[in-house]
Amino acid sequence: MNQNMMQNSKNVLLYPKSGKPSIIANAWLIWNDSDNEKAFPEIEREQKVLAPFQWWLSHGQAQAKDPNSELAKRIQDQTIGVWFAADDDVLKHAEVIELGKLIWPIVGADFPIFRDGRSFSTAALLRERFHWAGEIRAIGDVLIDQLIQGARSGFDSFALRADQNRDVALKQFDLFTVTTQNSWRDRRSQLDSQLEQIK
Amino acid sequence: MYKYDYIDQTLVNERVVQFKDQVERRIDGSLPEEEFRPLRLQNGLYHQRHAYMLRVAIPYGLLSSDQLRTLAHIANKYDRGYGHFTTRQNIQFNWIKLEESPAILADLAKVQMHAIQTSGNCIRNITSDAFADVAADEYVDPRPVCELLRQWSTLHPEFAFLPRKFKFAVCGAKEDRTILLCHDVGISLKKNLQGELVADIYAGGGMGRTPILGSLIKENLPWNVLPSYLTALLRVYNRFGRRDNIYKARIKILVKALGPEEFARQVEGEWATIKDGDDNFQQLEWDRVANHFTRPAYKSAQSISTQDLIDGAPANEQVAFARWLERNVKAHQVAGYASVVFSLKPHGSVAPGDATTEQMLAIADLADQYSFGELRVTHEQNLVLADVEQAKLLELWHKAKAQNVVLPNIGLLTDIIACPGGDFCSLANAKSLPIAKAIQERFDDLDYLHDLGEISLNISGCINSCGHHHVGNIGVLGVDKDGKEWYQITLGGEQGNHAAIGKVIGPSFGAEQIPDVMADIIDTFVKHRTADEAFIETYRRLGVTPFKEAAYLNRSKENVVGAGV
Repeated sequence: MNQNMMQNSKNVLLYPKSGKPSIIANAWLIWNDSDNEKAFPEIEREQKVLAPFQWWLSHGQAQAKDPNSELAKRIQDQTIGVWFAADDDVLKHAEVIELGKLIWPIVGADFPIFRDGRSFSTAALLRERFHWAGEIRAIGDVLIDQLIQGARSGFDSFALRADQNRDVALKQFDLFTVTTQNSWRDRRSQLDSQLEQIK
Repeated sequence: MYKYDYIDQTLVNERVVQFKDQVERRIDGSLPEEEFRPLRLQNGLYHQRHAYMLRVAIPYGLLSSDQLRTLAHIANKYDRGYGHFTTRQNIQFNWIKLEESPAILADLAKVQMHAIQTSGNCIRNITSDAFADVAADEYVDPRPVCELLRQWSTLHPEFAFLPRKFKFAVCGAKEDRTILLCHDVGISLKKNLQGELVADIYAGGGMGRTPILGSLIKENLPWNVLPSYLTALLRVYNRFGRRDNIYKARIKILVKALGPEEFARQVEGEWATIKDGDDNFQQLEWDRVANHFTRPAYKSAQSISTQDLIDGAPANEQVAFARWLERNVKAHQVAGYASVVFSLKPHGSVAPGDATTEQMLAIADLADQYSFGELRVTHEQNLVLADVEQAKLLELWHKAKAQNVVLPNIGLLTDIIACPGGDFCSLANAKSLPIAKAIQERFDDLDYLHDLGEISLNISGCINSCGHHHVGNIGVLGVDKDGKEWYQITLGGEQGNHAAIGKVIGPSFGAEQIPDVMADIIDTFVKHRTADEAFIETYRRLGVTPFKEAAYLNRSKENVVGAGV
C-alpha cells in the first residue's frame, strides 16, 4: 500500500440517521498527502478518494477552477471528498465548506487516537452550523467503544480499525434506548415523554 | 430528594450492561488494557497499587439511607468492610476485583446510584453545597440545577473524550462551601432583581500542578440556557484545549493562555449560534425535577437556645455535649431544627473520610430516625444529617457516640482533609494517611484544639491535589526526591468567599518532622494571635515570615530538601 494512503478499510459501518446500522463494502480511499501539489499521482481515475482538507485549501481549490483538471472531472463524477484532521478548524473555513457542500458527496473526520475527541465537535459543527446533510465518516483510530458517541455527535459511517469485531460493533447501537441530552440523532427522552403526556 | 423515573433507571441499567460487555471483552483479551483504560475510568474504575478501586458518585452529595445501606453492603461483600468518602462527594472502594465490578454496578443501579463519569476525561460528578436547602445563608437551592445538569452531562456524546477531566461545582449561598473557584466551571446561582434564577459562570479554576482561581466569564445567565452555554464553553475547550501535554490540558491552561476575556468572547461567539436551540431546559423539565426537592415534613417547633440544650444534658456530660453543639451542629433555616455533622476524622485511628460497614449501617438507621432518611456528604469528607429536631440532639448524640462519629473537631486542626495517598493510589508520590494520623495524635488535646479555633489542614499525596492542599490554611503536599518521601508545606490557602491558593514556605520536610513543624507553626500562631483571631486572620495580618522562620529554625539540613514542585 502506498504510504500516503491511510489504512483503507475493506468495509465500513454505515448507520444512516433514520436507519439501521450495517456493514457495507468501502468505496472511498483515504489519501493522506497534504503537501502534494499534483492530485492523486497513483490513484486510478475511477477510485473515489477522500483528500485532506488542508490539501484542498492549499491545492485543490485552485485546481478545481480549471475545467480541464483531473480534479474538475472528479468533481463532475462525484469521486472526490475531503477529510478533516482533528486540528482543522472548520469554523475558520466556512466559505470553503459551504462551497464544498455542493461538491463533496461525503466528508471524513479523523481520530488520530481513539481517545482524542475533537472530531466529535467537528461532526457536531458540520451538522449544526453547516447543516451538512451528506455522509460524515469517522476515520483513523476508530474503535467499537467510540461508535455511540460518534453516531450521536453527527457521524453516520465509520471506517473501523481493521482489528475491530464488526458483529460487536453493530450491537453497540442497541445498548441505549434512552438518552438524557439532545444529540444529532435524538432528543432527550424525558422531555419527549413529558411532551407526549401533555398531548 | 430526586427519584429516578423509568428513563433514568433504564439509562443506568443499560450502562451496567454496556460496562459488563466491556469488562468481558477485556477479560477475553479482545480489548487491550490501553484501550480499556479510558472506558473503565469513565466508569470510576482505577487500577491502584493493590487492586482496582471503584469510585461511586454521590451526585451533589445527597444520599438516602437505603443508598448508604447499599454502600455498606458493597463494602462488606466486595471490599474489606469500609469505604472512603472523597473530597468530591464520591465514595471509593479500594479492594475491588475487575470481574466483580459489573455486579457492584448492578447493585448500585437498584438504589439509583452509579459510577458514571466519576473519572476519565469527561464531565465528572457535579458537586454542590452539602447544606443545600438548610443553610441559613442560602439564596437559592442549587439541587434542581445540579440534577438537571447531572442528566444533561450523563453520557454526553460530544464531550466524552475531552483533553482532560472536567469538574463542575454549583453553589447558591452567600458563603461558598463548594470551593467554586477551584473548579473547571463554577456555577454560582442567585436571584436577579426580577426574582428570576440566574447564574454567574466562573471558568478555568483548578488545583493540581498549576493552581488557579476561576475567572468570572458570564454574569446573570438565565438558568434555562445553561445547556447551550455550557455546550459552547465545552466545545471551545474540546476543540482548543491542549492535548500534547497532560499537565497543560486542563481548561485553566487554555483560559490562562487566551486570557479570560478572550476565552469568554470565544464562548460567547459559539453560544450566539446555539443559544436559542432546543438544548435549553424547559419549564416543565424544571417542574418535574424541582418537585422532588420539596421540604420534608418539619414539625412546627420552637427554637431552643444552646444554653437550654446544654442544660438538658446530664451534668457530667454537659461539657462534652456543649463542645459537640459548638463544633458539629449547624444552624438551620427552620425553627427548632439543626444540621448535624458526623466527624469521620477520629484521632489517629482511621484514614480521614473512612467509614466501616457497621458505621454506615448504623448511620443509615440514625438518618431514618432523626433526619427523614437522608444524608449529605461534605467535600471535607464528613457526613451530615441535615434536618434534625433540636429537641432530639442529645438523644442523637448518645446514639452516634457508639459509632465513634461525634468527635467535636469539625473545622478544627484535626478535621484533616486527605487523599488516600501512597498507601493506595498509584499516582501518589508519598503517603498522606500516616501524616494525618501523626498530626492527629500530636494534637489530641480537645481543649487545646478548641482554643486554636478554625484551621483547615489539607494533605495531598501528589500534585494532583485530591486532598485540596492548595486551599488549606495549612497545606501538606507529598513529593518524591531521590526515592524518598518529603512533604512541602503551604500556608494561607482558603476556601469560601475569600478563596486563596496557599504559598509554599520553602524546602520540604521529612515525614518524621511534620508533627514538629506543625507544632512550630501553631505555636507561632498562638504567640502572635490577638483575642479570638482565627489562624488565617493572623496569617493574613503577619504574612508568611514568622511562620517560615519558626518552621526552619533548629532544623538541620538532612531534615529538609529543596524539592521544588
